[in-house]
Amino acid sequence: MIQSTRSAWRPERAEHRFGWSLGALVFILMVTLPWYADAYTITTYTRSIYFGFLALSVALLLGQGGMISLTQTIFFGMTGYVIGLLGAERGIAFPWPELAGLLLVVVVAFLFALVLMRTYGLVFLMLSLALGQIGWSFARQNTSLLHGWAGMRGIKPPELFGLDLSVSSHFYWLSLAVFCGALWVLWRIVESRFGLVIRGIRENPRRMSALGYHVFWQRVAIFVVAALFAAVGGILAAWSSGIVTPSTLHLNRMIWVLLVVILGGARYFWGPVLGTVIAVWLDVVISQLTPRYNTVIGIIFVLVILMAPNGLLGLWDSLQARRRRNRPPGSAL
Amino acid sequence: MKYQKVGAALASFALAGLLSAPGLALAADDGDTVTIGLLSAFTGPFASFGQLQKEGAVLALEEYGNQVAGKKIEVIYADDQLDNELAVAKAKQLVEQDKVDIITGLVSGDEGLSVGDYMKGKNIPIVPMYAASEDMTMREGDPYIIRPTWTGAQPMDVFGYWLAQDKGYKKIYMIGEDYSYPYNQAGGFKRGFLRGGGEEVTTVWHPVPTSDYSSLIASIPLDQGYDAVLYNGAGSDAVAFVKQFVEFGMQDQIPLLGQSNTFEKPDLDSMPAEIVGSYSAHLTTDDLDTPNWNTFHDAFEKRWGHGPTAASEFAYGSMKMILRAIEALDGDVSDKAALAKAMLAVDLSDEPRGPVSLDDHNAAVQNVYIREVAQNDQGELYNKGLFTAKGVSQFGPYDPALYMSQPADSRSEPAGKRADMPAAMLTVEQDYELVPFGQ
Repeated sequence: MIQSTRSAWRPERAEHRFGWSLGALVFILMVTLPWYADAYTITTYTRSIYFGFLALSVALLLGQGGMISLTQTIFFGMTGYVIGLLGAERGIAFPWPELAGLLLVVVVAFLFALVLMRTYGLVFLMLSLALGQIGWSFARQNTSLLHGWAGMRGIKPPELFGLDLSVSSHFYWLSLAVFCGALWVLWRIVESRFGLVIRGIRENPRRMSALGYHVFWQRVAIFVVAALFAAVGGILAAWSSGIVTPSTLHLNRMIWVLLVVILGGARYFWGPVLGTVIAVWLDVVISQLTPRYNTVIGIIFVLVILMAPNGLLGLWDSLQARRRRNRPPGSAL
Repeated sequence: MKYQKVGAALASFALAGLLSAPGLALAADDGDTVTIGLLSAFTGPFASFGQLQKEGAVLALEEYGNQVAGKKIEVIYADDQLDNELAVAKAKQLVEQDKVDIITGLVSGDEGLSVGDYMKGKNIPIVPMYAASEDMTMREGDPYIIRPTWTGAQPMDVFGYWLAQDKGYKKIYMIGEDYSYPYNQAGGFKRGFLRGGGEEVTTVWHPVPTSDYSSLIASIPLDQGYDAVLYNGAGSDAVAFVKQFVEFGMQDQIPLLGQSNTFEKPDLDSMPAEIVGSYSAHLTTDDLDTPNWNTFHDAFEKRWGHGPTAASEFAYGSMKMILRAIEALDGDVSDKAALAKAMLAVDLSDEPRGPVSLDDHNAAVQNVYIREVAQNDQGELYNKGLFTAKGVSQFGPYDPALYMSQPADSRSEPAGKRADMPAAMLTVEQDYELVPFGQ
């Protein structure tokens, strides 16, 4: 399933028009959502958006860099903890706690990367698991600063541009705008020379090294960028739920995100977004139907991943390919 | 091209439908239904408490046939897995999607405080069934939070006072779980113990959950004159601690005490018989023998096949208070302020565990029972009542203003030594009167 180093996220030309019209339609529907949907639908999409950042972070490393990193929830929760510590507890006003959070994430991600990027494959996975567990255990056991298991509460969103963000539709629009901006940045990264180099390293690090690229620092850079995506999502998550706890950093959440990304399709640009929206809605709908919802959702994940190892978008692609093959020769495309 | 047009049309319909689908609102609010959200931990480390809570609530609902004053009572059970972030997400779902009239349930104190934060200004009554963080009805009190159950410090203040006064204990070594509910239990215990004449309470905290206690137990200083070890933890942690305590042969060298939940059933069934004689204090005890308790106990056992615990009794009583308030309003719950007032006005003197009334801060004033672990003829362990303190408030014997001027309980507050405790907290006008159990 390894393709050329050309971005696999770029759609086929023939599907371009269809893709654009679908995208425009979804965009209009999402922007106008607060006018036709009920309050809880808005809350659920807000939740999808902040977890979507986490999924983008994982997908950037997995889809582009071929790295499964289990540390991304640490960066997601870290900004929330900093906002709680500086903003909620010490009353420092926006944007300083948020900026301090992002800065801390950059520093910690850089330090993590110095350790992680010396390794590949299984060793990388195990090392990232260890770092993730250290972060989670620290948050859980540090009672003097981080309040251990109880976590930080009392976090409130600031007032931005005269917009009261405690109104859920305002908060939704802000999240959507930031998310669209992040998607644009991600697109630029993927399409850039840097993105190409990262995909090159994914396929063959030695060869990229022979070509004169400093593989280690390129990988460090992509790791820090990915951490920043998670960190921005973490800010929105903390503002929205008003609370950060060690469970935000927990391995369960990390594996959930990994599954979500694979569910949507890790190599596809829209894969993590689609995966997150579906998974968040699955949680909401199925937990209302049965108390054994975790089992049901787990079975759904297993089935989807068995039948569509490249995610739902991969499934869509292969169906398209089959249809094209079955079409009689000479018919117009 | 044709395929794509059809595909696009289908996709847009599907998308519009999917995006606008109001998350499957199961409860239709047609004015003939009162909707109650029961938010609790049905999975995760406290799943047994959540389940017992649900059983108690269901029993109360069934007594009323799920109907009050012609209105159907619909209960939506939401599972938060004892995760505070998820608890807030689920509370949002209950409020925004299910449009609940009342929120109840809540197992842990942190869960309660987090949900309370989110619910501020929503004007929907919250009835915490087991969440015991005292600030919900104290420093962060709210007219919409009504708690007919307990705070962590409430039984422990009596317990500490009794140990110092009646048993003459001077020094206690406490090992506890490192989060807010045990802090509140420790706070109550220290105040009562030091006021009653105790000298010192040393506290050691461990993370939740812990399965290996060998180093903690080995480091108990047996030669420093401690009168007892108090294990300030519950659930699977308590079972593991008590088993290892006995395996080390410690019970022959120093008495073991528990916090309110340590020796609660069903965990007590998994503990060794060597702990018979261990003391604790709670708002129920297994050998209560009053007509109200017996009626409740028999009904509960008949419905669920096992006896009730404090968690199920609290849930039963809370749900009954809610139903009676709805009844008093003749089923009209549209005015939430009136609903909260109606709850405060409910007569709770027939609560199974003993008479309950609500104070000015919407918290329960009630009996506290001192109990010891005993063994019945079948060899089963149970909690046997020894003494009763009547009419105990969440402030203990203190003046509410004085109590609330003290820092909130934490891992280091209040002080563990008599000399470091503020003098105002060591003397009160009228302390508890403990009467032998059953009088």
